[in-house]
Amino acid sequence: MTSQRVFIAGAGIVSPIGCGIAATAAALAGGIGALRPLTLFATPTPPLPVGQVGCGLDDPDLPRTHQLARIAADQAMAGCAAAPDVIVVGTTTAGMHTTERLLNAGTLDPQAYRRHAAGSVAEDLAARYGCSGPVLTVSTACSSGAVAIKIALEMLRTGAARRALVGGADSLCRLTYYGFNCLQLIDPQGARPLDRERRGMSVAEGAGMLLLTADGEPDRALAEVLGAGLSCDAYHPAAPHPEGDGAYAAMAAALADSGVSARAIDYINLHGTGTPDNDRAEARAVARLFDARTPVSSIKGATGHSLAAAGAIEAVVAAICIREGLVPANTGLRLPDPEISLAPVTEPRRTRVNTVLSNSFGFGGNNAAVVIGSPVERELPASAPVAPLRVLAGACVTGAGHTEKTLARLHAGEPCKGVIPLEELSRHQPARLVRRLKFMPRLAMALADEAQRRSGASHPPAAVFFGTGWGALSETHGFLNSLFETGDRFPSPTDFVGSVHNAPAGQVAIQCGATGANVTLTGEDDAFEQALLTAAYLGRGAGGRLLVLGADEHHPVLSGLFDRSAALDSAPAAGGAALLLSATAADPGVAVFPAFTAPAAGRTDAIAELVGRLGGAERIHARFGVLLAGIPAAHRRAGEAQLDAFRSACGLTLPVVDYRRWVGEFASASAVATFLAVDFAAAGAVPAALCDGRPESFPGKGCLVIGFGKTLTAIEVRP
Amino acid sequence: MEQLIEELKKKIIGILDLANLPSTQLEVDGPLVGGSLGLDSIDVLEMVIMVEKDYGLRVDNRELGEKVFASLRALAAYIFENSPKLKR
Repeated sequence: MTSQRVFIAGAGIVSPIGCGIAATAAALAGGIGALRPLTLFATPTPPLPVGQVGCGLDDPDLPRTHQLARIAADQAMAGCAAAPDVIVVGTTTAGMHTTERLLNAGTLDPQAYRRHAAGSVAEDLAARYGCSGPVLTVSTACSSGAVAIKIALEMLRTGAARRALVGGADSLCRLTYYGFNCLQLIDPQGARPLDRERRGMSVAEGAGMLLLTADGEPDRALAEVLGAGLSCDAYHPAAPHPEGDGAYAAMAAALADSGVSARAIDYINLHGTGTPDNDRAEARAVARLFDARTPVSSIKGATGHSLAAAGAIEAVVAAICIREGLVPANTGLRLPDPEISLAPVTEPRRTRVNTVLSNSFGFGGNNAAVVIGSPVERELPASAPVAPLRVLAGACVTGAGHTEKTLARLHAGEPCKGVIPLEELSRHQPARLVRRLKFMPRLAMALADEAQRRSGASHPPAAVFFGTGWGALSETHGFLNSLFETGDRFPSPTDFVGSVHNAPAGQVAIQCGATGANVTLTGEDDAFEQALLTAAYLGRGAGGRLLVLGADEHHPVLSGLFDRSAALDSAPAAGGAALLLSATAADPGVAVFPAFTAPAAGRTDAIAELVGRLGGAERIHARFGVLLAGIPAAHRRAGEAQLDAFRSACGLTLPVVDYRRWVGEFASASAVATFLAVDFAAAGAVPAALCDGRPESFPGKGCLVIGFGKTLTAIEVRP
Repeated sequence: MEQLIEELKKKIIGILDLANLPSTQLEVDGPLVGGSLGLDSIDVLEMVIMVEKDYGLRVDNRELGEKVFASLRALAAYIFENSPKLKR
């Protein structure tokens, strides 16, 4: 079938310059700037200029990021009675502003932290609008909002979804305010992007949301999403490639994806944070691709940099520019930098704007560019539904150790709970390379390295998809601890850079030289499934090999507060797995397919839908020989009831491996289960010890990996 | 001064996790950044925090940073001459 066109049917925006499309359009047309000294929390030194949202965020029970997301999402969904089929939200801070306060006060009640998770923002919106399809959370630092748009775009193009609510949200918090400051990336005078005297960015908050539809052109489409491109610098955890190679690759990919030539771009909305390095590198990349007269501007001198929200906010701004015929000013620019050979727009300009390119780049070298235009009839390429991915090799880590040790322990019928020691984890990595790294980046790097070595090292991945339930907890705790202990004065820059969810995947990209898409997803117990689903959609265009990872650590303080399943098990557990995959169907190897993901809470029809999606009872019996069931301890009762319902719905007599009892309670345990399923499917047998001592063999059949609990997921693994 | 150099050496090895490296030779006059240990901009920022916290000196721009962190000796000399916290 032909690829579907994707329209912006609704949009919502809340930022320091205004709340809603009309207020934002007026502020942009008037060249209004909104950077002011921070008032959200007290600081030991005079507060720096930030972009703080002024409209009422006064719900005491809901973190600030969630409130911002709701405001923008309500605007985007106004006039749409139907539930979105998919929700994709980019965020980095989520409940952090609340969590900081609780941790500093010594609160030990896990219930108080229930909205800490990055995934809880999208989850809140899913409940609010009754979404019963995939709910994904992108956490690629400052490109999250734009990456979210790319994922939704691919899902809509194939026809797998017809309506997607997509965007980004982040609130100001101590972590980002002090974090960017200790990296010396803040301009004390407020951000002045592209200015000769610029000294850095201004941290901000906000949310942008888009209701995208693939149902034909709606009556009042704001604009059309023409395409988007992703890339990774694979260069440094926090600094951009000096020549802007990654930025160039993302923009070139976005143009190719949208079928639009560089000459057809009427306005480039720059990432333009105002840091000396970003603006110089981005300008070099833009100059390589576009005519020097193409109007460009960064709005971050007006709004500040709202991190994960920025890409979505600026996509909404792009739609406003097209509708209003407006090119916004590069607020804050007084003395153009002679090193930057671009044409920044210094005053808001009224002119016809048909097509806009918007850039968003993040830590970890995670880059995205989005092309938004007036709806235009054109020929579209063919689009096939997502297909299974072929496993070239895999690796896992559990408390038992690396892959071979884990497999040996399970075949002997012994559990693998526990936490691998740091030295053993990094046994193959030079001390110089990992000296500054804590558990999570070391885990991700070890998994990537082992998967590659087990493949015969002939398959370096082009793209990386990483799922983590809780991200780098040691770095997050280290940063906040050093901040609190020194009266908000001396936090660790290393920990700040490492604390973003996508830092481990950024390190993997550097290690492997993977310059394609680099996407980190998060969502408590289904983060790995989200990563696999995203890989299936985005990997088709990647051409090369894909590395899909899931990993989580156990932190002695934070795991018990954030992850209720980890808190319920007396044995700490950590680990993960990596699969090196090919999107080429002709490649040999076990096939993995992300068949299903949907919220399960409060739904009675979810199990029936899952059975239907798997092709019904008959197909399940014919194709699968074992069920690997993931039942997180926090959802044990509900999960077991779901498992029973699933068994009775398909008259299932399959043996069941209750895998968390073997590998332990950590969010990405399903990554390990999927790796094991690949091993079992290739062998056509499961170690007898895992199935109550009964030898189970199923030659020619595969394994089902089903996640029960809050989210229902299914991965098909077939020989 | 020599005592300060030794003190700084210990601190830097600690905060930058250099102890486990096969060659923990932190040279006094060699380049601190780049060099055989491969220290980079994030390591410099860790040292900036240490210098401010322990010696009350702010290094908040790139030009000054390049001068101060040129070598271990340069760092010690800068602290020795400017620190309000140092008992001389």
